[in-house]
This record gives sequence, structure tokens and C-alpha cells, in this order.
Amino acid sequence: MKFLLSSLIAFLFATTIFAQKTEYSTLLIPDSLKQNANAVVRLSQIDIVISSQRSMNVKEKRIVTVLNEKGERAIGASENYDKRRNISSIQATVYDNFGNEIKKIKRKDFKDQSCVDGGTLFSDGRVVYLDYTPIQYPYTVVYECEVETSTTAFVPSWFPLSNYYLSIEKSVLNVTYPENLGFRKREFNFSNFKITKTVDTSTQLSYVATSITAQKYEDYSPGFVDLFPKVMMGLEFFNLEGVDGNAKTWEEFGKWWSDKILVGTDELSEETRAKMKALVGDEKDPIKKAKIIYKYVQEKSRYVAISEGIGGWKPMLVKDVDRLGYGDCKALSNYTKSLLNAVDVPSYYTKLYGSRDKQNIESDFVSQQGNHIILTIPNGKDYIFLECTSQDDPFGYQANFTDDRDVLVVKPEGGVIVRTKNYENKDNSQISKGNYSIAENGDFSGKIAMVSEGSQYGQKSGVGSVEKMQPQEKEAYYKRFWGNINNLKIDKITFLNDKEKVSFTENAEISAVNYGAISNNKMIFAVDAFNQNSEVVKRIRNRKNPFEIQRGYYDNDEIAIALPTGFSIESIPNNFELNTKFGEYKTEIIKVDNTNLIYKRSIFIKKGLYKNTEYDDYRLFMEQISRNDNAKIILTKNL
Amino acid sequence: MKTYFKALVLFFAFFYSNSNAQEFKLGKVSIAELEEKEHPKDPSAAAAILFKKGEVKFEYTSEYGFQVVTKVQTRIKIYKKEGYDLANQSVPYHLESSLNEKIAFSDAITYNLVSGKIEKTKLKSDGEFVEKVNKYWGRKKITMPNVKEGSVIEFEYTIKTGLIGSLRDWDFQLSIPVNYSEYTTYVPEYYTYKSNQTGGIVLKTTIEKNSRKVNYVYVQDNKDGTPPARSNEELNFIETKTSYSVKDLPAIKEEAFVNNIHNYTTSISNELSVVNYPNTPPKYYSTDWESVVKTIYDFDDFGPELNKTGYFEADVDKLLTGINTSNERIEALFNYVKSNVKWDDYKGYSCNEGVKNAYKNKTGNCAEINLMLTAMMRYAGLNANPVLISTRDNGIAFFPNRTAFNYVIAAVETPEGMILLDATEKYSKPNILPLRDLNWFGRLIRKDGTSTEINLMPKTLSRKVVNMGFAIKSDGSIEGKTRSQYVDYEALDFRIQHLLTNKDTYLEELENKNNKIEISDYARENDLDLSKPISEIFSFKDTKSVEIINDKIYISPLLFLAYKENPFKQEVREYPVDFGYPSVEKINVSIEIPEGYVVESLPAPINIATGENVGSFVFNIASSANKIQTVVTSTINEAIVPSDFYPVLKGFYQQMIDKQNEKIVLKKI
Repeated sequence: MKFLLSSLIAFLFATTIFAQKTEYSTLLIPDSLKQNANAVVRLSQIDIVISSQRSMNVKEKRIVTVLNEKGERAIGASENYDKRRNISSIQATVYDNFGNEIKKIKRKDFKDQSCVDGGTLFSDGRVVYLDYTPIQYPYTVVYECEVETSTTAFVPSWFPLSNYYLSIEKSVLNVTYPENLGFRKREFNFSNFKITKTVDTSTQLSYVATSITAQKYEDYSPGFVDLFPKVMMGLEFFNLEGVDGNAKTWEEFGKWWSDKILVGTDELSEETRAKMKALVGDEKDPIKKAKIIYKYVQEKSRYVAISEGIGGWKPMLVKDVDRLGYGDCKALSNYTKSLLNAVDVPSYYTKLYGSRDKQNIESDFVSQQGNHIILTIPNGKDYIFLECTSQDDPFGYQANFTDDRDVLVVKPEGGVIVRTKNYENKDNSQISKGNYSIAENGDFSGKIAMVSEGSQYGQKSGVGSVEKMQPQEKEAYYKRFWGNINNLKIDKITFLNDKEKVSFTENAEISAVNYGAISNNKMIFAVDAFNQNSEVVKRIRNRKNPFEIQRGYYDNDEIAIALPTGFSIESIPNNFELNTKFGEYKTEIIKVDNTNLIYKRSIFIKKGLYKNTEYDDYRLFMEQISRNDNAKIILTKNL
Repeated sequence: MKTYFKALVLFFAFFYSNSNAQEFKLGKVSIAELEEKEHPKDPSAAAAILFKKGEVKFEYTSEYGFQVVTKVQTRIKIYKKEGYDLANQSVPYHLESSLNEKIAFSDAITYNLVSGKIEKTKLKSDGEFVEKVNKYWGRKKITMPNVKEGSVIEFEYTIKTGLIGSLRDWDFQLSIPVNYSEYTTYVPEYYTYKSNQTGGIVLKTTIEKNSRKVNYVYVQDNKDGTPPARSNEELNFIETKTSYSVKDLPAIKEEAFVNNIHNYTTSISNELSVVNYPNTPPKYYSTDWESVVKTIYDFDDFGPELNKTGYFEADVDKLLTGINTSNERIEALFNYVKSNVKWDDYKGYSCNEGVKNAYKNKTGNCAEINLMLTAMMRYAGLNANPVLISTRDNGIAFFPNRTAFNYVIAAVETPEGMILLDATEKYSKPNILPLRDLNWFGRLIRKDGTSTEINLMPKTLSRKVVNMGFAIKSDGSIEGKTRSQYVDYEALDFRIQHLLTNKDTYLEELENKNNKIEISDYARENDLDLSKPISEIFSFKDTKSVEIINDKIYISPLLFLAYKENPFKQEVREYPVDFGYPSVEKINVSIEIPEGYVVESLPAPINIATGENVGSFVFNIASSANKIQTVVTSTINEAIVPSDFYPVLKGFYQQMIDKQNEKIVLKKI
């Protein structure tokens, strides 16, 4: 009897300590959600309670089953905090395959670290995150967290599907808010997903998303924001790091930003004002004046990001930038604005998303948006945009980072949405002229001048590009660039960066042994030595997403070829032409005499958004181009 | 012992006889330095260290006892905008409160030349930041004001720490040129440090011993409540001044196939070897490999953890029932640990929570896992011992000191030889260690604390064998089948890289990597049975490898299996080439030619070797009727090839690649 009792107690004990939550068993996950998934979000519930203009509470519960190593990121157990953002509770519990509890992780067992990354020198933001070593797959993590903040300017957007290779069993959003704060929301990309709006009143909003299967990443897909569902939210009456604000329109928002955030930051010493005036001298043209000032800023300043409290939003004082010679995008843009102001050139602080993928400020949804600041100068009816963090960019150059997107221009009288410069297809050009000769033993020696403009200019010049490379990196770069030429030797490379014309010229002299392969009195080599198509368009099985070419381009080559003496031409590639909706391609070989040829090649690819089914056509188009670029000439030795 | 010494010497006053006139002083920036447009020896340099001086002294305070004070002075010239990063400086420090580590920057000034005159801008507090990185580390950062192309910046920082076990490493060589670097240590006779240099550059070294007189106040606490008695005392001791200096060091450049660039960087490290306080017997730390290992072995988190067995005995007894041969027992225990305790990605040779907890929680660091494995094998009657190693990212363990190692694995001695095991990697096998472990030498520790050197570099060739058969159609398309088998390290690499990848994604990768062939009927054999080589088999269609020009077909026999470019592109090589492990690749190809065609020419067979038994390449080809047979064997016998062999290696690869890409010519009849 005694024995029975003790085992019963032990049993009870065991169940209370290691509770089995059968609902977390991974066996319950439908197969459709396991397909292509590294992890399954069993439940994500976000409860946002905005109790006043200065108080927001966000509670999150996430139950995630991690199917394999790559799914670990989906747990999402990480939270930022700082002086105005307090984590009131955070914890996680891990369950095994069958729903048996393995481990409980409390706040003190989370890792706590500063948020400084490569681009920031200092930030007072910190992050708490879960660092758990899985002992088996699959396993399930139940993560709960509650955050309080007085900053209501950022109501977190809802992304029911937050990544590729992740499926969602259920995702819930509940928001409550006082009637008088002017809450608003906007839905994006709902159409292909099972999302229901369950409540939508003057004080409450709720959504439920169910059974979203995992999405595969596919090359050339439009940005994440254009594919996956999202709800953006905002308040008309908000608080940003201790500063109250209200805005119904972009105009009001811009006015508030100008009056409350930028105000008082732009004071400049008389000495510097005088210096700027002296610098522009008698110049009357505002754009020419702006060029002089921009050059001055580029020479004087460098990019350093420091983010503390409201400093994360408010630019550093202009007079500090003047003294220290550094600042982040806000500080340097604001500084340039003050210097321009000193020489009577108007300019406007401008918020936007800076990235290679084009992302707009939503023109009809007013909220805190953007991750970058540039400066806008009116130029007649048009605008010129200045990237003030770059010490290298030509005046007004924008390609590849801030081009072709909607941005918020903050004018003193209010904000306006403006589209930035679009680098049109043919403007993004690389025009090459050159020659090469082949010796009797097949050795190659050639010379070429390549002139890049538009977005191609940005790929060649500036930070991280070939212009700034160390000799060793530069050698490696060209060996990759002309990877089609084996045994390549770079004899000489010089650059000419014409910032006025925004054109970058590479002058190269190269040579290679055995370019022409000789066997049995024949010599074979590819005619197109300098510009073989290198764009890799992968085969994708059953593509689902549309595909996008974000920026078009145009290359034109004209190459004189000297063949070795003592050989005659056995066969020469035919002229070739392709015209498709994606663009045009054309090659032509002109026989000048028995040993001299002229090779002409042009390729023109258009910017565009296409259906998923058109992807294979594009791939085949590119393949035909690659094949033709590799077309060979055959010479026979004269006996 | 610290307390004893503190009572003896309560107050120190240092008197230095510093007659050595300094060549480099902060504050004396010249117009010539500001005017310089590019580095005279390396015009591509974005910035250069004009000088960098470090000085390590010992200070005593009543509160903390001995502390090490490191003072570093630096002058940097910025030539180009890419050198602006040098204007942001960051020095890490320990947050561990018992060390009481403190850092202060001073004399930080930017110099510019403004219309022929030197303009100075001082760093103020708004350019200084303190960051708590995590529980263990903080960082002090500065960003220099007013930096432009041509600026010279200067700063000094002082680190005061109670950590005397090792001094901070001094790097003479950096990623930018260094014109002058000097490092001096002043060590009282009570301490002896062992200093070690890496890198091939000869440093000018001077050592002098000076006597130092220290005045201090000796305070005698009286227990009867009367005021403490004070007396002025004088202590004489010898202090060793060691000075290293070097001029004109070139910038370090990264290269491909380099194990860890830091192995080749010129730097000095100092590790405490003897503490010899007055009236106390000397205490020895590391001086040679034997004593380093002994010290580690005696750590609470090492040796004692190895001796615990109670926590696993019952389970291991059960596991080993009926398993009698040594090899089977090794295999069983290795698999048991691998499948039951997951590695938490932390390296280190000391246990974190201890082997017992690791066993219970099914997760542990590398010491917990491999010490547990060693203990189990000993328990099972095997001659097993731990092996201390340095992983690749920690650099090669050149010198005997405790920080030379950062990891531990297990070894078993069997009649057939030594077997090395690392249970942190689930796809590893006996004697097939994860790549991070393959870093020259380790030290095996026996039960009595003695140790021997163990060569970690694999000596047997890891094999990849490919059998491919295909038929060429007269329209130029190819249909075929291939079977590839990966053995030992090739298998480990394959499993680590691909087993986790989703099949569809893997096939897409494979198709795109292999000249966009179309793959069907893909299958793998033994992907999880580690005792056997892993194989993959697939059928393919290839429409891109054949060129038909006029009436002839041109094709390379290896199709997509041929190397397309030489991995060695640079003209010169500074550092050894590190392949990780020796390997051999054997490819058999059988080709069926289309009807109506005959062989016009075949590439000529060759058999080449690098000499010194580093590499060889054999290419054989023959045709009969409508079949062509090709057999290609490429062998690299060495894991590491010295840099002076680079030109030969590069040439060898080029010949190999050229041959692989030569064409078969078929002619229409």
C-alpha cells in the first residue's frame, strides 16, 4: 500500500513539473504546412493596447515548431529595449516532439546585448534574445513577451507571414485604442491569403490569418513588402520619444516634423555663413551654388551614426556637425541644408526608404515611415536629390539606393510626397570600344575602354566598387569580370571618374596565353572576349511569384579583332538578333579583310514586372544570349 | 599571496631613470606629415600608422594590489576617404568586477593643414562612448573630430587592469602600413612572462635590467586598539625592461585558401609563467607544453570533470551489453554521445555547467561533450584521453601557453593506432573531424597529467569517385547518368553542406552549378549511414555542352565535371595554401557518339606531377567503335602547401584545367 501511494505521488509530481501539452505535439501539424517549411508558427497572437497618446502596451505570444536548424530564426524570441521602451516580462518554454516540456527559460537566462552593428558607432538601444541549443528536431517554443512604451508614433505593423520557408497555422492581431486618437490602418497584399477581419470598430481592430503555407524564395522576385500580407497602423495623435505630435495628412506631418523635431537644430555660426558666402562668390545660379556647397560637405565630413534617445530621430545640432565634421544621414542632410540656406539656396529635409530594392513611402497612409534621410533642392518644376552621407557620389546621383520611389519632402509649410529620379533603361549604359589580336600560338592581347553611366556608373565608382579597391582585390575583380578568359593577365588598368558628366571610364590592357585553343592545325576561340553575358538566370521549378527587373540597362561594344597571319577563316559565327518583350540583343561581325574583323554587340534589357509564367521565357532569352556570346570562330593554319 | 604582499607594501613610489630620448612623441605633428599625399612605399594605402607605441608597467595601489597599466600612443595619417574608419577607434575591456579594468583616452587630437598652418581639433566628451556589449565585455569608443583626406590623428589610451595572467597582445602588423611600432614592458622581478612572437618579421629587441627603489609606508595594525604604527620603508628590486621595435611594415593582405590570417601576422603575446613574491616559494605557470597542459588538467573544470562517471554508468552499462570489441565500443559510445548531447556552439576546454548537467540537459559545450565521451570510453576499458587543440579561428597553437588552446577532443589508443573523435559534429566519424579541428597539432593528456603532441592533419586521401555515362545525340543534346561517391572528408563536407538543404533547392543548385543541366531520377545512398560513403545518383540532360560547327561536333569529355577556372588567380602568394585535407578525385566517363559520326581527334593523354609528391594528374582517353572512355585522376597529397610552392601549384592547376577542357572532335561521315 505504501509503495502504491509513493508511486502515485511521484506520478502527480512528474505531471506538474513536466507538463505535457498535447496541443504542442508536432504530430498535429497538417502535412500541407510542413511542405517547404523550416518552421511552423502554430500561433502568433499580438495584442496591442494603446491606452493614451503616451502609452502603448504590446503583448506577444508565439508558439513556433522548429522543424530543422534553418527554422530557428522563426522563433523570433528577441526584443529591443531602451530608456522609453521597457520589457515588463519575457519568457520561453521549450517542448519536445510530443508536447512534453523540456525547459523553461526566464528573463535572466536570455542574453542581453547592445544593439550596435557595423554601421553605428554608438546606440543606447539594447536587445534581449533567446539563445537556446536545440537537442532534437522538431521542437516547439512557446514565447511570451510584454513591452510598454510611451512612444506611440510606431504602432508595429502586422506581418502574419514574416519570412520565406515558414508556414502559419494561426496568426491573430488584436488592437484596442481610444476613440479620440485618430487610429487608422491599411491592408496590403491580402488577396492570396486566408485573412479575416473579425472586429473593426472605433476602438478595436482584429484579424485572424489561418493556414498559410510556406513560400519558397525565387530569384528576381519583387521585394518582400510587395508580396506578403501586411497591416500598417498609425495614430493621428502620437508621441515620439517624449514629443507629442498630431497629423492627419502628409502636409501636417511634415509641418510637425519641421516645427517640433527639426526646429532649433540648424543654427550656424556667422563665421561659417561668411565662409560659405565667400566660397560661392559671385555665383548666382542656385544649382551651381549647391554644387559648390555639396563638394564642400563631401570634403569636410564623414558618416558616423550615433543614436541616443530622441537623437535617434532628431538630427545633431548643425553647429556640432560643423565643429566635428561627422554625423549620420540626418545630421549631414540637415547640415548641408543650413549651409545652402547661408547662400540663399532653399532645400528640404527628406524621409525615405534607402535600399537597392525600391520601397515607397505610402503616399496615402500617414505614419512614421522611412529609414533614411536625403536632401531635396527645388530645380524649377523638378527636384534634385542629394545623398549627404556619401563623400564620393556626384551631385544629384541616386541610382541603386534612393532612385525611383516615393519620398516625403519636409517643407516648412508642410510635407509633400515626391517621386525621385528614375534611371531610365538606356541611361544605364556601358559603352565599350576596344581591340584585340590573336597571335599564331593563340596568345591574346587586347585593349579596351569601357564607359559606364547611369546605374552602371554606381556599380563601378564609389565605396565598395572597383574604383576603391586595393591592387590585389582589383586584380581578383578583373579576373572574375573576364572569367571567360583563362590565364588572364592585367597589364594596365586606369580609371577616369568624370563626376560632372557622371561617367566612369575603365581603360584596360590585358593579355592571356592560349586564348585560342589549337589542335590539329585549327585554332578555336570565342569572338566575344570582353563582354560575355554573366547574368545567371536560374532554372526554377514551378515558379509562383511574379518576377521583376528593377533597373534596365544597355551595353554596346565595338571591338576590332586582328587574326594571326598564316591562318585562314574556316568558320565564323553568323550575325544574330533577338527581340523580345524583355529587351533586345544583337551581334554582328564585319569582315574588313582576311585578318581583320569588327565585332559589334548590343544588349538592351528593360525594366519591368512580369508574370511568373514569363520567367522561363526570360531565362531562355538570357540563355540564347549566353550561347551566342560564346560563339566560336575556327581558323585553319595555311599549309 | 596578494594579501600578504599588500600588507608588506602598502604604498609605492616609482622613480624611473628614463634617459632614453624618445624619437616619437604625441603632439609633434610636422607639416611634412600633413602634406604627404600618399604612402611612400604603398601608394594604394588609404591610411598608415605613422607610429604606435605601447608601454606596459606595473603599478601598486593599496586598494587593488598590483595592476598592469598599458599605455598606447598612436599617430595615424589618413590619405583617402576609405581610411576614415581609422578615425573611429574602439578598445574592448573586461566587465568582470574583480579585475577592476578601466580605460581612459587622452590627448586625442586631429591635425589638419589649413592654408599652410596646422589646425588642431581636440576630441571632446561628445566623441567618447562607453558601450556594454554583453555580460563579459564592454567597449570604449572614440570618433575623432574634423577628419578629412590628409588629416593626421593622434590619441593615447591607458588600460588599467588587475588581470596579470597575460598581457594584451601587441600587433605590429595591421591591415594598413605601419611606419614604426614599438612595444616595451617593464616587469618587476616578482613576475616572469613568457613572450612569444608570431609572423616572420624580425623585431629589434633590447633587454635591460634596472634596479628600482620603491619607498612605501608600512602600516602595522595593532589588534589592541592603539593607533596603527607607521614606518617608512624602502624596497629594492630589479625590473626588466624589454623593448621591441620595428620600422616599415607592409599592410597585411587577405588571400584565398588561408587558414587564419592572424597566424602570419607579426605580433607579441606575453603570458605569466612564474610568480615569485618575497618570502614565498615561486609559483610556476606555463613555461613549456608539459606545464601548460598540467595547469589546464588541474583546473576544476577540466580534470575533475573527466573523473566523474556516476551520472552515466547505468546507461553505459546497458548500452555496452553484448558489445565486446574495442572498435564497436568506441563506435557505440561515440554515436551515443553524438545523438544524446547537442553542442551549444561554445568552444573552450573548460566545462561550463559540468558534464553531469550537460548529460542531464542533453546539451553542452565542447569540453562537456568530449570529456564526457573520454570518461565513458575509459569506463568501458578503453585507453582514452582528451586532446587539447586550437580551432582554426583561434589560430595555430605556436607557443606553449594556456590561451594557445581553445577546444578539446577525445583520442583512443588502439593496437591499430590512434583514433581521434569529436562528438560535437553529428556527421563526424572516428578520425574524421570537423574542419575547424584540423589545425596542425594538439596535445594529448594522459591520466597522470603528462602529455604528447598529436598531429591533427589528416594523412589519408579523402576520395571522390564519379562514374558517368552519356550518349551524344546528333542534334547536340546529351543524355546520361552519373553516380558520385564521397568518402571520408568528402563525405563529411557533403553531409554538412547538403543534408539540411531542401531537396528541390538542392537540385536547383546542382542544375545551375553544373551548366544548367536538367536532372531527373535523383537518389542518394547512405546519407545517414555514416559508416558508408555517401552516394548520389541521377540522370541528366545537357543541351549546352556540345558545339556543332559545320559538320563537326566539339565536346569536352568531362562535361560539367571539368574545372572551368583556376582557383589560384594571383601572381604571387604570401601565405601557405591550406586545402584542409589531402584528397583524390577519380572520374570515369563513358561516351557513346551519335550514329553517322566518327572520332576525328581526341585530346592527348597526359600524366603530370608537381614534384615533391604534392599533386598528380593523370588523364587517359581512348576510343573504340562508337565509344570513348576517359579516366581522370587528380590527387593532392598534402593538406598544407608552403607558399614557395605556389607557382608550381598554380601551373599544375592550369595544366589540369586546360586538359580537362580540351575538346574531342567528331566528324560526320
